[in-house]
Amino acid sequence: MDASAAMYVAQGIHGLAYGMILFLVASGLTLIFGMMGVLNLAHAAFFMLSAYFGYQMLAWTGSFWVALLVAPVVTAVFGILLEHFLLKKVHAFGHMGELILTVGVSLIILDGVKAIWGTESLPLSMPPVLEGLINIGGLQYPIYRLFIIAMALALLLILSLVLYKTRLGMVVRAAVADAEMVNALGINVPVVFMLVFGFGTWMAGVAGVAIAPILTVFPGLADQMGMDAFIVVVVGGFGSLGGAFLVSIIGGLISSYGVQFLSQYAAVLMFVFMAVALAIKPMGLFGERE
Amino acid sequence: MIHTKSRWLLWVVGAVFLLLYPRLFGIYYSNIFVTFAIYALYAVSLNLLLGYTGLLSFGHAMYFGTGAYGTALALAHIEGLPLIPAVLAGFLAALLLSVCIAPLVVRVSGNAFAMMHLAFGQLMFVLALKLRHITGGEDGIGGFDIPPFSIPGVVSLDMTDPILFFYFAIAVIAGSLWLLWFFTKTPFGQIMVAVRDNANRVDYLGFRVPHTKAVVYVISGSFAGIAGSIYALFQNLVAAYDAYGILTSFVPVMMTMVGGVGQFFGPIFGAAIFGLLDEFTSRYTDRVELVLGLVLVLVIMYAPHGFAGFMTYLRMRWFAKKTA
Repeated sequence: MDASAAMYVAQGIHGLAYGMILFLVASGLTLIFGMMGVLNLAHAAFFMLSAYFGYQMLAWTGSFWVALLVAPVVTAVFGILLEHFLLKKVHAFGHMGELILTVGVSLIILDGVKAIWGTESLPLSMPPVLEGLINIGGLQYPIYRLFIIAMALALLLILSLVLYKTRLGMVVRAAVADAEMVNALGINVPVVFMLVFGFGTWMAGVAGVAIAPILTVFPGLADQMGMDAFIVVVVGGFGSLGGAFLVSIIGGLISSYGVQFLSQYAAVLMFVFMAVALAIKPMGLFGERE
Repeated sequence: MIHTKSRWLLWVVGAVFLLLYPRLFGIYYSNIFVTFAIYALYAVSLNLLLGYTGLLSFGHAMYFGTGAYGTALALAHIEGLPLIPAVLAGFLAALLLSVCIAPLVVRVSGNAFAMMHLAFGQLMFVLALKLRHITGGEDGIGGFDIPPFSIPGVVSLDMTDPILFFYFAIAVIAGSLWLLWFFTKTPFGQIMVAVRDNANRVDYLGFRVPHTKAVVYVISGSFAGIAGSIYALFQNLVAAYDAYGILTSFVPVMMTMVGGVGQFFGPIFGAAIFGLLDEFTSRYTDRVELVLGLVLVLVIMYAPHGFAGFMTYLRMRWFAKKTA
């Protein structure tokens, strides 16, 4: 492989890895939205919170794997608490109340982590097994990013198996279509909602810990990811998991090739992509309803 | 209802109070009052969308920021530009932007509207950061000359004097607020409220919903531009983060929610509460955002109609007791 081809491939894999992380965050967001109609603006804050939990776990136990397993679960518990004690109560006031509430919670989390961990970026070292480079057809590529892609694909596989092959998945899909009807059939929809919310924040949590060794942990972590994840959900179509996956991959590739070729305007490209997509399909690429 | 005569008295007392305010409280508190007034106008312009038309925007900073940059750029590049045209430059810049964006956004509502604005607002923020040769990026545009307020042959007031600037800013903001208040009382303003309550029915009655939304949207954006323009003159500095930052978009939404959504004076109460909160919490702690978040959560949990709603509730109780 010559140098420029290698560069293209490397940027492509970079983009895939970022797209996968983006999908982990956006899928939780779109699942929660599709199911409950709640646009959780605190989602990215949970993503960041999990990265901080991961840092703390690593500091206490010294094991990346423990951090990767425990931190997202702790984050999910926080998510469930938010859903159960706050979100459910303001549901009566409509979307506006939910949006404002999640903005409030995200402000609390963002400022809270600054109060506890400070504003410097904290390093989170990757496990020794995943350090270093691997040779793919003459291209030296970091193992860790390949690990991220593999992990996200595995999660995607499990998620689709659960959603489309199990009874629980059937209930979730039915509740997305018509929550009231499912409730009338004798299924405890509020509990299903709570589980979905917890699962969504868990996915964001996994993404947070997974990306921490690459980006380090700092309060600004939520900004970039939050914005990109919202773009993915909006462009993919609110509540569409397939749309979120496709747009995540496109978004990841846009940002990695964008940095390569138009570094000056890379940050704007995602927004341009969104503006063009929405001008063609206002409801998003795979969206049917608002 | 308050008697017409006593209402006039209230206005006169208010005007005299504002006239004496700088003398009574000094320059420090005059500046705090100007900041409050700027945010009050900004939040009222947002409430026109949020409270009256039911459209929640998370990117209103793009109009505030454009107004600020419009005035700052005009003053920095045009030699000898008088004061009023400088404010008009900010107003027109925001007007132009809202006219361009309106066709894209009036056909959606709810979450999609909020998210599109979040994205457009961020787009403006990133552009302001990256187009350094125009906007000065993070450092912004600062130190431009503030022209005097002058009517040739009659008067020329130096606007670098904080007390004279106080009067100018309050006059412009009060005038804008009065125009907006007047607007909500016109027949068109009533259609606007009807669009919020039941867009379908307004459509069946023969009014064109997207057009109505577009007009409200443009008015809301342009008045946010005026607030931004005064902000630029007041600070003598416009930088990307303060003008277009995400917090600049969230603050008026929070003020409106805390003050009372859908009531004309609600956002003004909200701006006052936030001004006081900011002034006092920042004396004791750096965690202003944490306090803001807590206030927001508490308000939405326990007083979803905000301060104005709480006042209405008190008044209802009071009257109920009197008649009983």
